[in-house]
Amino acid sequence: MFKNMQNEWFFNIRGDLLAGLVVALALIPEAIAFSIIAGVDPKVGLYASFCIAVIIAFVGGRPGMISAATGAMALLMVTLVKQHGLEYLLAATLLTGVLQIAAGYLKLGGLMRFVSKSVVTGFVNALAILIFMAQLPELTNVTWHVYAMTAAGLGIIYLFPLIPKIGKSLPSPLVCIVVLTAVALYLGMDIRTVGDMGELPDTLPIFLWPEVPLTLETLQIILPYAVALAIVGLLESLMTATIIDELTDTKSNRNRECKGQGIANIGAGMLGGMAGCAMIGQSVINIKSGGRGRLSTFCAGFFLLIMVVFLSDWIKQIPMAALVAVMIMVSIGTFSWSSVRDLKKHPLSTNIVMVTTVAVVLATHNLALGVLAGVLLATLFFANKIARLMVIKHAQADVHAPLHYQVIGQVFFASAEKFAESFDFSLAADKVLIDLTRAHFWDISAVSALDNVVIKYQRLGAKVSVVGMNEASKTLIDKFALHNDPKAVEKLLSDH
Amino acid sequence: MQHILACLDESTWSTSVQDAAIWAARQLNSPLTFLHSIEKQTQPDSQDLSGAIGLGARSKLMTEIATLDQLRAKAALQIGKEILAIADSKAQEAGCTQVETLQRHGEFIDTLLTLESSARLVIIGHSGTQTGKKISVLGTHVENLLRQIHTPVLITPHDFSVPKSFMLAYDGRETTELALQRILSNDLLRGLDCHLVTIKNKQPDLEEQFAQATERLTAGGFAVTTRYLEGDIAKQLLDYQQTQAIDMLVMGAFSGSRLRQFFIGSNTLKMLENCNIPILVVK
Repeated sequence: MFKNMQNEWFFNIRGDLLAGLVVALALIPEAIAFSIIAGVDPKVGLYASFCIAVIIAFVGGRPGMISAATGAMALLMVTLVKQHGLEYLLAATLLTGVLQIAAGYLKLGGLMRFVSKSVVTGFVNALAILIFMAQLPELTNVTWHVYAMTAAGLGIIYLFPLIPKIGKSLPSPLVCIVVLTAVALYLGMDIRTVGDMGELPDTLPIFLWPEVPLTLETLQIILPYAVALAIVGLLESLMTATIIDELTDTKSNRNRECKGQGIANIGAGMLGGMAGCAMIGQSVINIKSGGRGRLSTFCAGFFLLIMVVFLSDWIKQIPMAALVAVMIMVSIGTFSWSSVRDLKKHPLSTNIVMVTTVAVVLATHNLALGVLAGVLLATLFFANKIARLMVIKHAQADVHAPLHYQVIGQVFFASAEKFAESFDFSLAADKVLIDLTRAHFWDISAVSALDNVVIKYQRLGAKVSVVGMNEASKTLIDKFALHNDPKAVEKLLSDH
Repeated sequence: MQHILACLDESTWSTSVQDAAIWAARQLNSPLTFLHSIEKQTQPDSQDLSGAIGLGARSKLMTEIATLDQLRAKAALQIGKEILAIADSKAQEAGCTQVETLQRHGEFIDTLLTLESSARLVIIGHSGTQTGKKISVLGTHVENLLRQIHTPVLITPHDFSVPKSFMLAYDGRETTELALQRILSNDLLRGLDCHLVTIKNKQPDLEEQFAQATERLTAGGFAVTTRYLEGDIAKQLLDYQQTQAIDMLVMGAFSGSRLRQFFIGSNTLKMLENCNIPILVVK
């Protein structure tokens, strides 16, 4: 217990404190921006970010990962908020938490193994594009001032770190926000500010039970949203966890993360916040700033609340253009640039999976559907590839000799048709011998394809004998209980 | 054949671990293995607080962190190799014939737990690189290791000298009975004077057991001095050790749970923290 405290919380105190501060500063614009996407007051997103970050710091399965209110989740809530209002959103947030905890107990985190690298890349790119697109309303039908401010903001964000010394010790998104706010106030510009977008928090969050009737009807309204939120939340969280795992060369506990996300969302829902999940961009900022332990996540949430509650009068003055600049940075940083650069190097099937994931997300605004499409496609491509690993050879010494077929390779639903077509029924023979000792039958499709071939030869008047059926069909059994025995696997997949 | 596993690191305790290992290898006439385990340093090196992420931010960050890890690992590997080479030649010089060296990546305790099945005795320093040269500070790994390992552990102080006598605190419980059996059944403490000490407690047949234990040790060829003490266990034992200038302490470990330890404190831990002589923890 004490050892874990030391190893997960306090091994990197200085780094975690500072990184937490940097992340908190970048979280404020995000939380506000995502609240606006979801159609609720900025305080809903800010409270959510505080609660989720602080709770997940204790119960999450990936130290150093930042969770808060996210764009991916906000996009799923839009219609719920429009049609039924905030209270239903809070109820849906609670239900999302419950579903995620259940997923954790059912160990669904393990299902992530079916999500291939290209699907993850597609997901990340789609997310980046969604975050960028969400900024467009702020950039349409506005005066040139807004464009100028946004461009200046991006300039500050990317050029400020190049200044020696000071550039690496002050968060450039903060500099951008401060400078743009000062300029807007000084020039008295008439542009939209955060204060125009809705209510900001002025107190610490208080316990609220959503005011919705506890009826079946309510459940019918919120359940579809909660399911989508739970799935997208877990997907983004587990993918982010994988990214942090790779960056830091450490392992995360996926099922604990699922339960943790659930608990964090329940906490958020009870304190008037919207559902959230892990954030790729913020987590990368955290690692880059030197955050590694749970303390960094905790500090991010804690500092966020402190700053928002005590500086709310100042935050109201921030021009939206400054937030847009920060969000564009997050979107650029989230985008996987290498995936575009390496498009030519990767096989076409991989690229198709990635692009399909992106396209489906952009069409539906639902990351879960994109991932589903990507996973299905990747599986089809894989099955297709394996199906090619089958050949059937035949030989017949003379007309009186038996016709001898040898099947080599993988026979399953995707290769069953090819299997049936590989037999030449125009060859007349009294006896047909089908040798399966070097084949693997994976499913019932394979067995029935063989049955058809046998019956067809019988109808042609031949006597059919099958050799090696027992060995070939060993792979049919769903659980071959070989998990820990490399020898058994070797034997099963050998040429018998 | 089961060997002695001596764990070395970059700290000044390593010399004492080497000396103790050579002594134990001679006493037991057993092969000796020196282990250097490399724990990954997770703290970042420098901090970039700019908080800006641009195109290719993740792959760039990945390269940076991986390069840093590589540099650190290379340095650690090199240092470890040198430490092992020094230990190896020292042991050869001292006449140990079967000496092996091992280097492993990973958490120290995990590494030890995977290696312990082939070890008859594990030797570690009282403290290490993380604690500096403060006698009263127990190494961060020691307690966790003692709770998990099933092999006897010899914990060496900063300076090791060949012991002439040892003390066994006998309370009739299972762990001390085990310690007694171990002392009798192998050669590690052969030729040392034995101080058999007990603290009066509520155990009903303590006196009888104590007499039996004395008899068994004498029959085993030890010169036994017995002593009854009263009062606070750890304090009395430490006082006795100091007045008698006893060189080594033999004890069982952690009969209480962590919860009990949190509220009442653990005698094992008190002894580990305050004793400046080699401690043999019997498992």
